[in-house]
Amino acid sequence: MERAAPLAVPLGQTEVFQALQRLHMTIFSQSVSPCGKFLAAGNNYGQIAIFSLSAALSSEAKEESKKPVVTFQAHDGPVYSMVSTDRHLLSAGDGEVKAWLWAEILKKGCKELWRRQPPYRTSLEVPEINALLLVPKENSLILAGGDCQLHTMDLETGTFTRALRGHTDYIHCLALRERSPEVLSGGEDGAVRLWDLRTVREVQTIEVYKHEECSRPHNGRWIGCLATDSDWMVCGGGPALTLWHLRSSTPTTIFPMRAPQKHVTFYQDLILSAGQGRCVNHWQLSGELKAQVPGSSPGLLSLSLNQQPAAPECKVLTVAGSSCRVDVFTNLGYRAFSLSF
Amino acid sequence: MSSESSKKRKPKVIRSDGAPAEGKRNRSDTEQEGKYYSEEAEVDLRDPGRDYELYKYTCQELQRLMAEIQDLKSRGGKDMAIEIEERRIQSCVHFMTLKKLNRLAHIRLKKGRDQTHEAKQKVDAYHLQLQNLLYEVMHLQKEITKCLEFKSKHEEIDLVSLEEFYKEAPPDISKAEVTMGDPHQQTLARLDWELEQRKRLAEKYRECLSNKEKILKEIEVKKEYLSSLQPRLNSIMQASLPVQEYLFMPFDQAHKQYETARHLPPPLYVLFVQATAYGQACAHMKSSSQPPRQDKTLSVAIEGSVDEAKALFKPPEDSQDDESDSDAEEEQTTKRRRPTLGVQLDDKRKEMLKRHPLSVMLDLKCKDDSVLHLTFYYLMNLNIMTVKAKVTTATELITPISAGDLLSPDSVLSCLYPGDHGKKTPNPANQYQFDKVGILTLRDYVLDLGHPYLWVQKLGGLHFPKEQPQHTVIADHSLSASHMETTMKLLKTRVQSRLALHKQFASLEHGIVPVTSDCQYLFPAKVVSRLVKWVTIAHEDYMDLHFTKDIVEAGLAGDTNLYYMALVERGTAKLQAAVVLNPGYSSIPPIFQLCLNWKGEKTNSNDDNIRAMESEVNVCYKELCGPRPSHQLLTNQLQRLCVLLDVYLETESHDDSVEGPKEFPQEKMCLRLFRGPSRMKPFKYNHPQGFFSHR
Repeated sequence: MERAAPLAVPLGQTEVFQALQRLHMTIFSQSVSPCGKFLAAGNNYGQIAIFSLSAALSSEAKEESKKPVVTFQAHDGPVYSMVSTDRHLLSAGDGEVKAWLWAEILKKGCKELWRRQPPYRTSLEVPEINALLLVPKENSLILAGGDCQLHTMDLETGTFTRALRGHTDYIHCLALRERSPEVLSGGEDGAVRLWDLRTVREVQTIEVYKHEECSRPHNGRWIGCLATDSDWMVCGGGPALTLWHLRSSTPTTIFPMRAPQKHVTFYQDLILSAGQGRCVNHWQLSGELKAQVPGSSPGLLSLSLNQQPAAPECKVLTVAGSSCRVDVFTNLGYRAFSLSF
Repeated sequence: MSSESSKKRKPKVIRSDGAPAEGKRNRSDTEQEGKYYSEEAEVDLRDPGRDYELYKYTCQELQRLMAEIQDLKSRGGKDMAIEIEERRIQSCVHFMTLKKLNRLAHIRLKKGRDQTHEAKQKVDAYHLQLQNLLYEVMHLQKEITKCLEFKSKHEEIDLVSLEEFYKEAPPDISKAEVTMGDPHQQTLARLDWELEQRKRLAEKYRECLSNKEKILKEIEVKKEYLSSLQPRLNSIMQASLPVQEYLFMPFDQAHKQYETARHLPPPLYVLFVQATAYGQACAHMKSSSQPPRQDKTLSVAIEGSVDEAKALFKPPEDSQDDESDSDAEEEQTTKRRRPTLGVQLDDKRKEMLKRHPLSVMLDLKCKDDSVLHLTFYYLMNLNIMTVKAKVTTATELITPISAGDLLSPDSVLSCLYPGDHGKKTPNPANQYQFDKVGILTLRDYVLDLGHPYLWVQKLGGLHFPKEQPQHTVIADHSLSASHMETTMKLLKTRVQSRLALHKQFASLEHGIVPVTSDCQYLFPAKVVSRLVKWVTIAHEDYMDLHFTKDIVEAGLAGDTNLYYMALVERGTAKLQAAVVLNPGYSSIPPIFQLCLNWKGEKTNSNDDNIRAMESEVNVCYKELCGPRPSHQLLTNQLQRLCVLLDVYLETESHDDSVEGPKEFPQEKMCLRLFRGPSRMKPFKYNHPQGFFSHR
């Protein structure tokens, strides 16, 4: 639909290079601005593009309004994760977390507000940061990634307060339990670990691949995505996408999806998941596949639900993955259009 | 005449008298001429008025007598008879008188008539005379006006002014004392002076003519001398040729070439001049740094028949004749061929696509002694230039099958500038011309005519606007000059890169990836994956491949590119790579699309790591360029692909449920196997340490 028709004009050197760059672009992360009108997307070249959702969704939207308002080089490596506080956009990827002011981000030549690097053990390679998680109650940020630890950072002072060790391989994803100050993390080692932030201890470990129902050895044991809602937790990756009851540590529903899933989230009484393959999958908690809505990328990496109360008209689902396009779903069942880098 | 008419008239009178008088008249005619005259004379003597009185009286008497006779008769008596007789005699007398009077009246009438006639004749004569006189008057008047209008010739002659005349003319001509007062004499004198002067000038003119004649003769003599000098000079030139050659000073040859160049059409001439100039400039730059060498990098020559070119520029009337002749011939021939309309159109097409008999040859020598031969043609009717290219190498090349298109004249210069594929005419006006003769596009003719690349037009100084077609495109030197250097550089790079590719292909076809020693640092020492196949594929086949869709959609798979298929193998894993080779290699990198057959089919749409591998060779190609000019890029990309396949296979997580050892034991040193949300493999090679890391 949105795909560009084959161009008749032959290209010069720079055009070819740009076309190739676009062709091999992967968008790893998305974050919606606190006002709900802008969407930030980070790609594998370390660039962050800011799209105006309100302009793209307005009735007089043109082709240009689907292009980024501003694009800037944020990191040297890929931007794996982004979150927004009520004032800042925090982006991370190549071992550093950088903060950008939302208020100034649309201006040209925007400089980062600050940058922090968690205390890594010296290594040949700087470990990446795969996941960022805000803990609003204590105004801190949790970073996790290549060095197999969860680092908590006080947003007030910018100091790293805790390091949670336990994973044996790098960490893919984080999820916060709403009621108690507990954090879930899933990693390459195939384990989902529950951490208590007060005691700085590992409370619970679920080694998903060890459960026969959901293990899929040919895909590996890694946990790529994680989401939680009260006592329930859903996780997927190498093993099948599974709904767990946390207190009893038992898998309750195994979702019949062959492709590894890279992002999962609860939405009302549904579970939305995406991963290898073009489709966003809508699951009922019982394990029934309610819908499969195709996007424009061959593989999906991140889903973002814009639920900012400030901009109800921009309440959309945006999906990005291994292409330069961010698909926008105005209602869950239909891809309205794509934003493009 | 008058007498005759009177004679005629007389019998009438007599006749009216009645027949009894006839005899008497005859008698009187003969015997009494004099009496007749006397009666006529009598008329003159008698008064007509009295005759009239007499006539009236006689008539009254007669009436009276008649009345008396009647009276007497009515009375009747014997004595009356005498009275009646008497009275009859009296009335007879009266009748006689009446007769006499009648005659007289006739004579008078005749006389009157004669008189009138006479008078009329007189009047006529006078009238005639008057007419003659009037005519004469008119004629004289005309003569007078003519005379008045007469202009003397001398008035047209521009005479010298009066003062000058009196100042310069000798006194025997000017005669001042006579002429001062009399303008007529003065004019005459002035005319005399003029005549005198003219005579003198004529004399002078004759003198000059003879002088000129003399000089002409002198010139003739001198010319003869000069022409006798020519053969001698020629022989000297001939004799000096070996010396010139010996001293590397080809003055003569250059001169000849310039002579020929005069007959070139403007665009080719511009090209010739600019190319020669550029060639010389290059030679100078060289010679300043190095000892002068005979072999120049750029040599220019003109080919073709000068005579034919001359024939094109015949005087117009000749050519018109020719044309009409040929038209006639054409008509004849077409009449013969009329049934085949196609042939006729064909002829028209041929005429339209005719090239100028002269062409410019450019030989561009590259560093490795390979030569690019360019032949530039000019299509006269289309006003565009075309080029044919040929590459010759110093050493004979073994042509690999897949390199067939690399050096083919058709494609070697394709897309020298982006988009300039030379299949379409650059002159927008041509399309209209084509429509007339039914040529759809120039594409079908380029093999024969050469390619009308845009840069060729620019070298020839032809600039065509994009939008409106216009016929008046003039060859412009500055345009040609501004493009000469870049184009020549591009041409050189193109040839070198093509030759480099040619060499690489020769090894690739044998499954050898010819990594040069200066690029060795880009790859680990041990590469297990091997290139097993390198073949050329058709554009359509490339488009049909299922894993090349993205490239096609991004518009990177135009039909000017060359397409290849490489197969890299390691054990049971087979990696297909479809390669798009842009004609702009190596500034535009070859583009790889991958499809791995190992545990199912993996392409960029279902495996992020395949996508990453593509990105490694396509996007990060700059690391693989090697030393400039990066002609080894393709080889390096292929070698890189082999390395990437090794990494991919060795780092693939082992499925614990499957029995037996891993097919591909990990031999590469990697810091980590996976990284990031998309679980990338460590594809980046770090040179001196020799380990693999993530990008």
